[in-house]
Amino acid sequence: MRKIMVFWGVFFCFLLYLQTTSMAQAPMMSEQLVYSLNVYNGKGYGGAFNPQTENTIYFIANKDSAISARTTLVYFWPITAKFMAGWQTLNEEVVGTLEILKEGKLIKSLKKQDNSLYYPEGYWGEISLLCIDEDAHTYYEKYKEATEEYYQKISEFYKARIEYRKKMDEFLEEIKKRREAGEEFTSEEIEKSIPKEPKPPEGPKFYTTEPRKDYVIDLPVGSYQIRIRAEDGTIIQDSQKNLVVFTSRRTGGTGYEIIPGNRWTMKESCDDPARIIYAAGKNTLYFNPFTQDEYNELYYNKLEDPQNPGRVERWRWVHITPIKDVTLLFLKGEEVLQRVKRLPYYVKQIPGPTLGYNITEYDKEKQPYERPTFEGYKLDLSSTLERTGYQINLEKKEGGFFKGGKREVRLVRKENSRLLYALSIFPLVIGVVIFLKRRRRLAP
Amino acid sequence: MSKEKSFLSTKTIKVLTKRDLVSALHGWGIYVAAVISFLLSSFFLGRYLGGIRENNIRISPDPLSSFLFFPSVIIISFYLTILSSISVSQERDQGTLEILFYGPVSSSAFILAKYLKEMLTYLIIVVFFFVYFWGVSGLTNLGFSYGLAKAIFLSIFLVSCWISFGLFISSLTSRVRNSILWVVGVFLALWALYFGQGLLLSLSTEEMPAFLSYIGGAVSFIYQAVWWISPLSYLSRGMDAVNVGSIWLYGMSILYSIIYSVVLIILSIFILKRKGVRG
Repeated sequence: MRKIMVFWGVFFCFLLYLQTTSMAQAPMMSEQLVYSLNVYNGKGYGGAFNPQTENTIYFIANKDSAISARTTLVYFWPITAKFMAGWQTLNEEVVGTLEILKEGKLIKSLKKQDNSLYYPEGYWGEISLLCIDEDAHTYYEKYKEATEEYYQKISEFYKARIEYRKKMDEFLEEIKKRREAGEEFTSEEIEKSIPKEPKPPEGPKFYTTEPRKDYVIDLPVGSYQIRIRAEDGTIIQDSQKNLVVFTSRRTGGTGYEIIPGNRWTMKESCDDPARIIYAAGKNTLYFNPFTQDEYNELYYNKLEDPQNPGRVERWRWVHITPIKDVTLLFLKGEEVLQRVKRLPYYVKQIPGPTLGYNITEYDKEKQPYERPTFEGYKLDLSSTLERTGYQINLEKKEGGFFKGGKREVRLVRKENSRLLYALSIFPLVIGVVIFLKRRRRLAP
Repeated sequence: MSKEKSFLSTKTIKVLTKRDLVSALHGWGIYVAAVISFLLSSFFLGRYLGGIRENNIRISPDPLSSFLFFPSVIIISFYLTILSSISVSQERDQGTLEILFYGPVSSSAFILAKYLKEMLTYLIIVVFFFVYFWGVSGLTNLGFSYGLAKAIFLSIFLVSCWISFGLFISSLTSRVRNSILWVVGVFLALWALYFGQGLLLSLSTEEMPAFLSYIGGAVSFIYQAVWWISPLSYLSRGMDAVNVGSIWLYGMSILYSIIYSVVLIILSIFILKRKGVRG
């Protein structure tokens, strides 16, 4: 007994020690050759970096991805349990030629190319394209010109606004004097002669990053090795990495991003058609459907960030483009209960000490200076609905359903959760019945 | 002669299995263990439903499969491991093993009968699982899915690993108390190893003190070493197979469990033969 107590005492002290070692320590930095990545992720481009701890880099097949080797300071960040790059402290370019090998044979030698990212819908938009060589400079120049033009218009707008305020003051002064002199005006007359407020100019809708030099890789599916050969012909130390180029297993599925009305920032995903949407009571849900492709979980997670974990046996859906020109149907069997159109919504914070917000339909006329917070298909689930047999599906404009858009909706019964405890004791009832039967049989 | 021997052996297994199974059904253990596992499942299900109400929504392929494994299958596995671990040592302790072996009972027939009894006990509990989860589905509308039926079927093989592990421990020990202490100790040690490895993996190797990194290496090595020995890893592999939804992993999980059970049963028979009826 005493030995067991001593064992558990030591064990828990050890656990406590492990806990304290993971707290409050200054990060140790080490100089490393790392790869800076700008990879195509099926829908656009995303940046990442590959530290020395990761031996493999992952790319999507037959698409351009940019990569460059750099020397930087790397440190471990316990909060995310990942290595971070201290780019601001040290960011040195590693010069050389990138060699790509397949089964030990050299298949490509790449020089660095100018490249930039072009976002046609703006930096926060869903599309991004990698522009190479001349295109990189052309698109960047276009962006610079558009920005300069915008700043010029802004400057003119400020001047026009000062002028407007001056005219407005003069107008109000004049009206006041004329009213004092006994003159009377109709609202139409005032509306006609009041100075018009200038409208602020709109900024460039697209965005282009400044061109930089990287190796641009476009390879078919397969396993490769990469390394950098320095100008003196030697292989640069720590530049060897494995390169896995993969593609999607399935394409053209339909996934949903679901925004619950009571917490719009906490979006849910319903990508796999086998997943069921469980809801409780009265509900407002905003659905945002996407086309999606299915990738290997490990490969895709590592593509997004080489330090991400993942399992090679698993597959995950990746949202590609939003599906906009369809109608969302809420069905019970064959019967259509609701037909929902895609609409823009605006989230307005409730002023005052009470925390909260209202989600209202966006009206361009009434909110000319606002932009919609999100777009989606609003579905109101009433608490009086029956519990089973509901689905959502997407109807195409030309008729018929969108491929893979069907999902089951179940309304769970929370109120019965106490009855679960009563249900739990049924084996005991069976035991009692067996006991009584046996007793009766054995009784003389 | 050999035909007659095999008939006798089959008959012996049947008689022994029936005797033990009837005894188990007339006891309270099986019912109490099932009730405890269902009460805990109900508690977690209540919290899960509360979460849906709080968040308005939850998207899940099959929540009941998760509640089947944790806590129901784990509790039942523990109970059946204890039962199987005392099955041989109890008969040895009471002297009934010696009496049985004077008759037409061989070591293999005895161990197989004990294994079959525990498996049949679990199959009765599987019926309870079906009733309970069907009831849960009706009460909460969470849905009794094909995935849950698959998970219940897989659990038969995973529990088989635990039962054969218990029999193996039982064949090694002579006293009931020792068997229980061994099983409980091993059970706790495996869980501690499972959590300890997870905890050590969460620390950075660069900032870990030297001795901790040695311990981390040792724990990791032990974890890898017991990966094919520990019944817990078979359960964890099975849970993964159900969560991932991979038919390949599901099939492999069943195959590995069968191999594990067969190997441990053969070892138990061999040890019982070597040690004899008096241990």
